[in-house]
Amino acid sequence: MNIDRLATLALVCTLILTGCQHKDKRYVLRGQVLEKNPASSEITVKHEAIPGFMAAMTMPYEVKDAEALHEVQPGDLIEADVVTTNNQQEYWLENVRITDSRGRVVARPGIVHHLDIGERVPEFPLTNQDGKTFHLADFRGKAVLVSFIYTRCPMPNFCPRLSSQFAKVREDLSKIPEDYAKIQLLSISFDPKYDTSAVLRKYGLAYLDNDPAGFSHWEFAFTDPGDLRRLADAFGLEYFDQGDSISHTMVIVLIAPDGTIARYWGTRWTTQELEDALRQQAQAVVSTSSGAKGTAAK
Amino acid sequence: MMSLVQKLAAGPLLLVTLFLLVGCSSRAENSAESEQRGAILFAMNCSPCHEAINSQLKVQPPSLRRLFASKSLPSGAPATDEQVRRTIIEGKGIMPAFDQHLTRDDINSIVKYLHTLS
Repeated sequence: MNIDRLATLALVCTLILTGCQHKDKRYVLRGQVLEKNPASSEITVKHEAIPGFMAAMTMPYEVKDAEALHEVQPGDLIEADVVTTNNQQEYWLENVRITDSRGRVVARPGIVHHLDIGERVPEFPLTNQDGKTFHLADFRGKAVLVSFIYTRCPMPNFCPRLSSQFAKVREDLSKIPEDYAKIQLLSISFDPKYDTSAVLRKYGLAYLDNDPAGFSHWEFAFTDPGDLRRLADAFGLEYFDQGDSISHTMVIVLIAPDGTIARYWGTRWTTQELEDALRQQAQAVVSTSSGAKGTAAK
Repeated sequence: MMSLVQKLAAGPLLLVTLFLLVGCSSRAENSAESEQRGAILFAMNCSPCHEAINSQLKVQPPSLRRLFASKSLPSGAPATDEQVRRTIIEGKGIMPAFDQHLTRDDINSIVKYLHTLS
């Protein structure tokens, strides 16, 4: 064997060995999701023993696929591939499948995809601060600004900020009667267990300077947990109950007078931007907006 | 010289005194612990609004320093422990209710800490 052949053989062996060292290993995980942390892209799973990798336990796993992370929810039974590097220093989940109690893969029933601009908003019954049931379609002919809040939220940069700025938007636009007649604000709670009509009314009054007349242009509502999840999915909102609080992302949705999505905002927005976009939509309404009606007592 | 009766009486008296001292010291320790816990709970739950200027809020939450120095709270209600406890539990204005976040012990610790906040 000459030197060249020996060198080639050594190189091939090295490549094979190196390749083996970095090859990922895959194991099947079966368990239940207990928590989801979108900030760290992790879910905490209480899982069965994973032969060859880990005993049965509860621990967090990273889910790199954003779509899968969005879809999976606390409480879901899942099956997934645990991918590890050879030294098991790094591990994460891939191919997360939601299953039923017998391990069969299921599609989430009734899930609505994140709506794009121009798509029509879904219709679910909502109950307002006065106990009246209404639908988003009742606001056809008006530009509607929707936010999601929960009244117990203690984070000043989330719900209190959202509601404070919605209060300013309503107050500012109330000074422009021709636009005010064509706009509607709506804050939907993602805590229907706690945020009853009475709780929402008290919460709303605090942001309306105790004047219930303001409810005519800013309603506070809740819906049942299933419809809430579908509505949140439609608007790309993430939330999950942590017992004494609710972790959530921030989404503001502008619905055009024809009932389609006009615009989304996340955490970066100014009150002026909201007002301008709302007025722009309101001004696009043809002169008569007789079809538009709020549900609050006028 | 101590009589036998005096000696017999001195034993239990010493014991009672020791119990009282230990009891007092334990109570003082519990009180300090509770106050310390109150400081942590205050930092986690109250400071984000009451110790920071946040122009994004409809109303700037009042400072809670020297809360009990005047006869009334910023809301005008009497400055009593019970009133402060009720405000924490039920919320006030844009302040959310903390009844689901904090236990009664947590709230008592916060009130205790508020008494020391200058």
